[in-house]
Amino acid sequence: MYLEYIKSALSSIRNNKGRSFLTMLGIIIGISSVLTVLIIGDGMKETVNGEMDSIGATTVSVSLDATKTEKTFSKQQFDEIEAGISGIYGISPGIQYWGYFITPRKTFDAMISGESQVQELAGTVTMVHGRYITKTDVDDSKKVIVVSQAAAKAMFGYEEVVGRTIEIDSYNGTNELLIIGVRKDNAMDTAYASYLDEPTLMGTIPYTTLCDVYQIDPNSVSSSFSIYLDSENKDQVLAKTRSVVENVMGLRGENAVKVSSGYGFDATTDSIMTIITSVIAIIAAISLLVGGIGVMNIMTVSVTERTREIGIRKSLGARTNSILTQFLAEAAILTFLGGVIGILFGVSISYLICKVVGFSFIVNPMLVLAVVMVSTAIGLFFGIYPAKRAARLDPIEALRTE
Amino acid sequence: MKKLVEIKDVSKIYNPGENEVRALNHVSLIIGEGEFVAIIGQSGSGKSTLMNMLGCLDTPTSGKYYLHGQDVSHMTDDEQSDVRNREIGFIFQGFNLIPSLTALENVELPLIYRGVGKKEREKLAKAALDNVGLKNRMTHRPNEMSGGQQQRVAIARAIAQAPPILLADEPTGNLDSGSSKEIINIIKRLYQEGRTVIIITHDPGIAKQAKRIITISDGKIVSDEINPDYE
Repeated sequence: MYLEYIKSALSSIRNNKGRSFLTMLGIIIGISSVLTVLIIGDGMKETVNGEMDSIGATTVSVSLDATKTEKTFSKQQFDEIEAGISGIYGISPGIQYWGYFITPRKTFDAMISGESQVQELAGTVTMVHGRYITKTDVDDSKKVIVVSQAAAKAMFGYEEVVGRTIEIDSYNGTNELLIIGVRKDNAMDTAYASYLDEPTLMGTIPYTTLCDVYQIDPNSVSSSFSIYLDSENKDQVLAKTRSVVENVMGLRGENAVKVSSGYGFDATTDSIMTIITSVIAIIAAISLLVGGIGVMNIMTVSVTERTREIGIRKSLGARTNSILTQFLAEAAILTFLGGVIGILFGVSISYLICKVVGFSFIVNPMLVLAVVMVSTAIGLFFGIYPAKRAARLDPIEALRTE
Repeated sequence: MKKLVEIKDVSKIYNPGENEVRALNHVSLIIGEGEFVAIIGQSGSGKSTLMNMLGCLDTPTSGKYYLHGQDVSHMTDDEQSDVRNREIGFIFQGFNLIPSLTALENVELPLIYRGVGKKEREKLAKAALDNVGLKNRMTHRPNEMSGGQQQRVAIARAIAQAPPILLADEPTGNLDSGSSKEIINIIKRLYQEGRTVIIITHDPGIAKQAKRIITISDGKIVSDEINPDYE
C-alpha cells in the first residue's frame, strides 16, 4: 500500500518536473548550506587536531595572571615545576630581549632569547655546528651563545663560527659571549635577517645568563614559561600542570594560573567557532524554513489542481487517511529528493573548499543520515496542512470541479 | 429476487430554512439483485441527488437507506468510503480517469484501496480491461485514448473488483453516437452476466435500453415501470 503512495508521488513529481525542481530548490540550498558548514567545521577541527597529533613535540604555555598575583617564577621554581610534571621534555621561560651583537667589524640589531636546554631535547632546534645550551650552561649561567646560520653569516661571512666570541650590548653595558653552536635557520631567522636596512640577528643564550646580562633578578625571571612535550602526552600533562604550578607557587585556589595548549582550539577559539557555526546554522535553518513554506505552497496548489483526482479516488473508496498519506508522501518525497540533491551539492562544495583551504575532508555518515531525516521531516511537517485540506474534501464537490 | 437497494422515505434538503431546496422529497425505492434500472429525469429533478445517495457519496436528511440489508444512511466518511469500495462500481459521464495514470493503473485504483495484493490486483485489472476489449491499451494514458475507450477503461475500473452494483451516471453523455452504442452494449452485456446495473440519465433513448424505468421529477418518483420495449 505505501509503495503505491510512493509510486504515485514519484509520478506526480515527474509530471511536474520544473515546478517540483523549483520547489526543491529552497530545500536544496538549505540542506547544502547546512551540510557545507558542518563538514567544513568538522574538517577544520580534524585538521587542527591532526596537526597536533602529527607533530612529535608540542608546547603548552603557562602564565600567571598579573591581575590576580604579583608572583613571578624564579629559576628554582622552574626547576621544581619541571621535576613535578612527568612525561615532558622540560620547560623553558623563553624570554626575549632586544640588544646588539658587536663584532670587530660592525654592530648588528639582535634579538636574544633566554632558553633552557629543553629545545634540543624536544627536537625543535637543529644544530648545524657545535652544540646547543646544556643544563650546566643554565645552572652556571655560562657566558655562551648559540646563533642562527643567518646570524653567523651576517656577522662573520661564514657559518662555522663556533669558538669565536661576540660582544652583546644590552643597553646597560656589554658582555663577551662564546659562540658554542650554530643552529639551523627557521622561518623567523630568515625573515628577520633579510630586512634590507637593519637585519635583526637571532641568538639564544641560557636564560640565567640572560638574567645576568640584562640585570634581571634571578628570583623573578618571568611570569610565563612553555612546557615542551610529546603531543601524545598532552592531555595527561594538561591535566596536572595547573595543580603542580599552583603548589610550587603557593597559588592554590586563586585561579591565577593560565594553561593553554599551543596549537589547536583553546576555549576562546572554540567558542568563537561555535558562535560562527551557530549563526550560519541559523541562517541555513531559516532557508530551510522558507524552503518548507515553498513546499507547503506548492502542495496547496497541487491539491487545488487535483481536487477532481481526489474526488475520483474518494468515490473509488479512498479513505481520508489514504488521501492524507498520499499527499504527505508526496511532500516528504519532494523534500527527501531535495535533501539528497542538497547533500550532493553540500558535499561537493565542502570538498572543494576543504581542498582549497587545506582542511581534511571528512563526511560523517551519521550527519548525512541526520540531514536526510531532517529534510524528510520538513516535507512531512509542511505537508500536513495541504494534505489535510485534500483529505477533508467532499467527494461530491470534488467530482463537480473541472 | 433479493433486495439489494432499499430506500425508505428518503428526503434530502439543501439550505434548510426559508430558501430550502428539497432535492428528494420522501422517496422510497427498492431495487433487487440482478436488475437493470434506468432512473430518468430532467436536470434539477433530483436524479443527481438520488444517484449520490445510491452511491453512498451523500447521506439523506431523513429516511433510511439499506444497502445489502445494511443501514448506510448515517455513516462516517470513512465507513462510506469502505461501502463505496466494496459495493459500488461508478461509471461517470466525464469518465473520471486520473490523467497521470495508465489504463491499467486506473483500473487498479479501487483494488489498491481494498488492499488487494499487487499480483492479484494486476490479474483482476487485466481481466476487466480484457472484458471491455482494451487488452492492448493497458499502458496508455487517458489522453492517448478516444472518449469511448476512456469510458471503457472506466467501466473496467467499475467491474474490476466485482461490486454488486454498477452505478452509471450519464455514461454516454460525452460520447458520439457510435461510442454510445458500444458503451450501452457493454453495459447490457454486464447486466446479462448477472450484475445489477443502475443508469441515471436524462435521455429517454438511453433509458429505453433498461429493463425497468424510474422517472423522477421535482424530487419525487412519478413513475416506476417495466420497460415494455426491452429486448
